Amino acid sequence: MIKVKVWAAAAALIWTQTVFAEVLDVTIHYVGPTEGSAWLGVQQGISEANLQGEFLGQTYTIKQVKADGVAGLENVSAVLVAGDVSTIENAASSLSDIPVFNLSADDDALRAACLPNLLNIPASQQMKQDASKQWLAKNPESTAHIQGWHEDFKKFAASQLNSRFTKSHGTIMDDTAWSGWAAVKMISDTVARTQSDDGTKILDYLKNDITFDGQKGAGATFRETGQLRQLVLVVENNKIVAEAPLRGVKGGLDSLGLLSCKK
Amino acid sequence: MKLKQLLLSSLVFVSASAWADPTYRLFVTNEKSNSVSVIDSRTGKVETTLNIGDRPRGIGLSPDQKTLYVALSEENAIGMVDVQTLEFLGKLDAGDDPETFDVHPNGNLYLSNEDDAKATVLNPSTGKVIKEIRVGLEPEGVAVSPTGEIALVTSESTNMVHVIDTKEYKVIANILVAARPRGLAFNSDGSMAYVSSEIGNELAIIDTKTFTITKKVVLDIPKSKPMAIKISPDDQTLYLTTGRAAKVAILDAKTLELKATVEVGKRVWGAELSRDGSTLYTANGVSDTVSVVDTATQKTTMNINVGKKPWGLALDD
Repeated sequence: MIKVKVWAAAAALIWTQTVFAEVLDVTIHYVGPTEGSAWLGVQQGISEANLQGEFLGQTYTIKQVKADGVAGLENVSAVLVAGDVSTIENAASSLSDIPVFNLSADDDALRAACLPNLLNIPASQQMKQDASKQWLAKNPESTAHIQGWHEDFKKFAASQLNSRFTKSHGTIMDDTAWSGWAAVKMISDTVARTQSDDGTKILDYLKNDITFDGQKGAGATFRETGQLRQLVLVVENNKIVAEAPLRGVKGGLDSLGLLSCKK
Repeated sequence: MKLKQLLLSSLVFVSASAWADPTYRLFVTNEKSNSVSVIDSRTGKVETTLNIGDRPRGIGLSPDQKTLYVALSEENAIGMVDVQTLEFLGKLDAGDDPETFDVHPNGNLYLSNEDDAKATVLNPSTGKVIKEIRVGLEPEGVAVSPTGEIALVTSESTNMVHVIDTKEYKVIANILVAARPRGLAFNSDGSMAYVSSEIGNELAIIDTKTFTITKKVVLDIPKSKPMAIKISPDDQTLYLTTGRAAKVAILDAKTLELKATVEVGKRVWGAELSRDGSTLYTANGVSDTVSVVDTATQKTTMNINVGKKPWGLALDD
């Protein structure tokens, strides 16, 4: 009986999520325009992170920095970048051990580079090409293209996210807006679970432990390429006609894109 | 929502005759065909289908089991039906997008407003909203403890179980759990609560004195997305629906060890357990059926065709 009690107490210590912890003020840095999709997505993520933080004791603030200011940052929790390939690559290279999120670029080179701290949220070009091939194998005449997100996506509570976003911002959520939202949401999820705003700890959790609910079905994780595993949407005439990976395709989510880094 | 026994034992002055004989009707919400199937649970035959409002999801009975409540998500209302006569009794304003609810021993409804990040406490006899309580995003599962002291609400997109004090109508604790928490259940004395996480594929036990997680497991079932939880009357066995895995998982309620799985229909969500614990019913949203599981043999004995996208169940037994 005593053993059981000791065990239970230990378990409680390990698993307890502190209910009334001291408030943790988390600043997330952002490189990119303060208008348009990425920014609105980030704003949506921040407002949702702060709602969670109200209950669990965290606040979140977004701070814009110039691309050339990233290298000089200290005590950083995470950096979000909405920009071109070189801006993203430079930001990631200048901050080792701190998570840098690519919100905007689908370039395969950013995945093949396998930078240890770069987290690519958008589906890569190759993921989209693989999805397209799966679709065309069954529908050779189709003129469909591939998107990461769509304003009519309803499954997996996507409709709730779409309606929250449109209610707040008066516009539709697109791929880049979803990426901005997802990046902030997974940071706040990590901070709440680790009770830490330390960038290195956050990166470690994101790469190894997170099962992220991106409101796109299965829990999302990162590949060693830094690419977020996710389903994509087959869209024709602005209507969702399928989700990829297509049903029955071997490998599931790993039938899309580059899986691993060259050794 | 098995309150009859509890009320009988705690309110000794209430005569047993206050309750009518059970009808043994099993009520099923069909989210997509905007209807409620009424099944005779003794034969498995669909007795009739009620059309009481749009997008019915959460479903439950009043403590005296005379009234059936149905959350009509599309109409922002709770619909009421007389369990004995099946007469439609009207609708109550339930705030934006009510998804599901539980019934307090005093008769009040605690419901989750999915699009509005709040829980609403509604008195069905007056139709008045007693309180709106701010919770996390996409609130879903609701469970009132057997004694009525607390109510739990899960918020799916903020990954929390909120603990509500039912005297003050205030959130008194928040427990972070695995991604997309949905189902909730209490054991018979309310000392433990169970929560399922759909995306995290996890089941956790919460100690309701300390509001901490004392045990958790990741389900080892392919494609599993855990949802509804039912606990056997003796508190020994836990039944968990697993969504796309099309199975009911049977676990030891104390150790959370997986004991068996039972094949049911596709995208199984809602569940109901008979008062004696002998029969489990599941709502299978893609098969458009209700499965009947014999808990002794751990086998599905019948699949009953109902409306489109069956969501939840309530049994008058």
